[in-house]
Amino acid sequence: MDFTFSPEHVALRRMIREFAETEVAPIAAEIDREHKVPHDVLHKLGQIGLLGICFPQEYGGMGAGEAGYCILMEELGRVCTSTATNVGAHIGIGAMAIHLDGSEEQKRKYLVPLARGEKMAAFGLTESNAGSDAANIRTRAVREGDSWILDGGKVYITNGGYAQIITVMAVTDPALGARGGVTAFIVETDWPGFKVAREEDKMGIRGTSTAELVFEELRVPHENVLGKVGEGFVTFMRSLDMGRLTLGAAGLGGAQAALEWSVRWAKTRKQFGAELALKQSVQWMIANLATEIEALRSLVYRVAWMVDNHQPFAQLAAMCKMYGSEVASRSIDVALQIHGGLGYTRDFPIERAFRDARIAEIFEGTNEIQRIVIATNIFRDHGVRIRA
Amino acid sequence: MPNIIVLIGRVLDPSGIVFNRRAGRLFVNREEYLLQPADRCALEAALRIKEAGQPKGSPSAEVVALPRTLLPDDDVLRQAVATGADRAIHLVGAGEYTGFANADDALMARVLAAVVERLGGADLVLTGATTLDTGQGQLGPRLAEALGWPQIVDVWHVEAADGRVRAVRQEKDGFVAVEADLPAVVTVLPGVLKPRYPDGARLINVYRGVKEMANALEQWDVADLVEAQALKPLVERRGQEFPAERERGARVSGTPAQMAQTVAEALRQRVRR
Repeated sequence: MDFTFSPEHVALRRMIREFAETEVAPIAAEIDREHKVPHDVLHKLGQIGLLGICFPQEYGGMGAGEAGYCILMEELGRVCTSTATNVGAHIGIGAMAIHLDGSEEQKRKYLVPLARGEKMAAFGLTESNAGSDAANIRTRAVREGDSWILDGGKVYITNGGYAQIITVMAVTDPALGARGGVTAFIVETDWPGFKVAREEDKMGIRGTSTAELVFEELRVPHENVLGKVGEGFVTFMRSLDMGRLTLGAAGLGGAQAALEWSVRWAKTRKQFGAELALKQSVQWMIANLATEIEALRSLVYRVAWMVDNHQPFAQLAAMCKMYGSEVASRSIDVALQIHGGLGYTRDFPIERAFRDARIAEIFEGTNEIQRIVIATNIFRDHGVRIRA
Repeated sequence: MPNIIVLIGRVLDPSGIVFNRRAGRLFVNREEYLLQPADRCALEAALRIKEAGQPKGSPSAEVVALPRTLLPDDDVLRQAVATGADRAIHLVGAGEYTGFANADDALMARVLAAVVERLGGADLVLTGATTLDTGQGQLGPRLAEALGWPQIVDVWHVEAADGRVRAVRQEKDGFVAVEADLPAVVTVLPGVLKPRYPDGARLINVYRGVKEMANALEQWDVADLVEAQALKPLVERRGQEFPAERERGARVSGTPAQMAQTVAEALRQRVRR
């Protein structure tokens, strides 16, 4: 057993932390307040190779593996959940589907500019009637010669308002349903028939774009079928497993920030003649936070190690997402309590973190779905089917 | 012959250490090292000179990083290569050369002069004007003396072309533009340039020692460069003492005009003292 980070990962974290504190932290409050995507920061991240962090170098990536990607998400999550979400939707699910199942030509054409950050990606799965029940999608793709014609739409698509490349799931054979009847497509957003219908006005992660997309007779060439016709669901579930892990990593960063704020405040704030740090109620809060965060850290980087060492990890990725999002929300809630009235004001980043953290319990599979996944796997290992 | 040599060192990450004046001790909570900030600016200056096609008029100038002191590992040298230096040489000393472990700037200047000679010279040596931890600024001037080259210290801006180095240096009364013939030694102040980030893929490759980075890091033994007797540091460390706690400030009151008057008077007193 070896629980240490390699020297390259230590150096990578140092670089990313400096970037996060210098380039991202100063704009985090502003992009939240003004509801705007930090395109400058995304551009800079791309320039130094971080938007292709886990993709192979032959496709323009950095080759730092899933562990490197988790370090990026943790450090961005520590200073700005919006930025982490932009990056996560781009790398972790949008481009990830092409990395996992793209053909050589598709990787050359699409993964290379995505890994370099020259173009941004999104992941189009959710529809108004198919959220948690993802297999119930209605967007239809009909073969017409060398093309497929897509009709339908997607909702709540992160990066949807500005991405140039979107991986979209559509029904190709309604009779077969999710198993064999759903196909993944690579869609360029400047093609005729693609439209951004609306941008959501959200409670948190306001520095991201969450869009409703409409496809009207959108013609996609057959060479843009991602993976095999009818196997789209497999491609998308594999991408989501990766996304779930790194969402846990972003939650880890958010929780870590909450702990750091709390310790700093407890050291300086005096009440009844003594610092909060000297009060047992606060000490216990801090001890609980720190323990949960360490447990989460162990889980996140163990799963990253499993991915990098080609071991099955889907079950633990679901735990990462569920536990990571809940530890983040709990930690920020405790930090808010420790800060009292100050934490409730917009002068301090806690109220923003509080709003931002909440989405992680909902998107990329609600925590209820994660619990279903986890329980299904456990009972299946014991010979019991709890899901149709 | 390398065109530009950059001397770099490391410093304990200040955010990972805590001073305890009462205990008279420095507690290291997280032992992590950073590139010395002034050396990082010197590296940035070197890379900008290279990108501008100087000092030889072609964009292929070679930038070589060397350690400014004995480093137990080559981490900052790898960082320099990841950031854009073409290669780095790690200096190690063992056996009777262990005196090297207490190397001061005088000793390092002699070692580095030997390294520069072994490399066949250079057009320009750049390094930080000061270190964040010990505040030493002697390395550049001492190396210039050892090499018999001109030196310009404490610069804000530096460029090199047509066999000359031009720099703007800070003096007591303001900024002064100076020039010298190449080869020369120039020391760069911290914080005068915004250093770039390392390149991601280059960082991974230099740490893994793969692809074009496989030969970017060499290791030289000091024993092959200088006689052991020459390695006597001038500075001897006899103990440590912490500066006194800073005096508490005073609270002033009154109208804004009165308060300004009080503060101005206090400042005037301090200057007279």
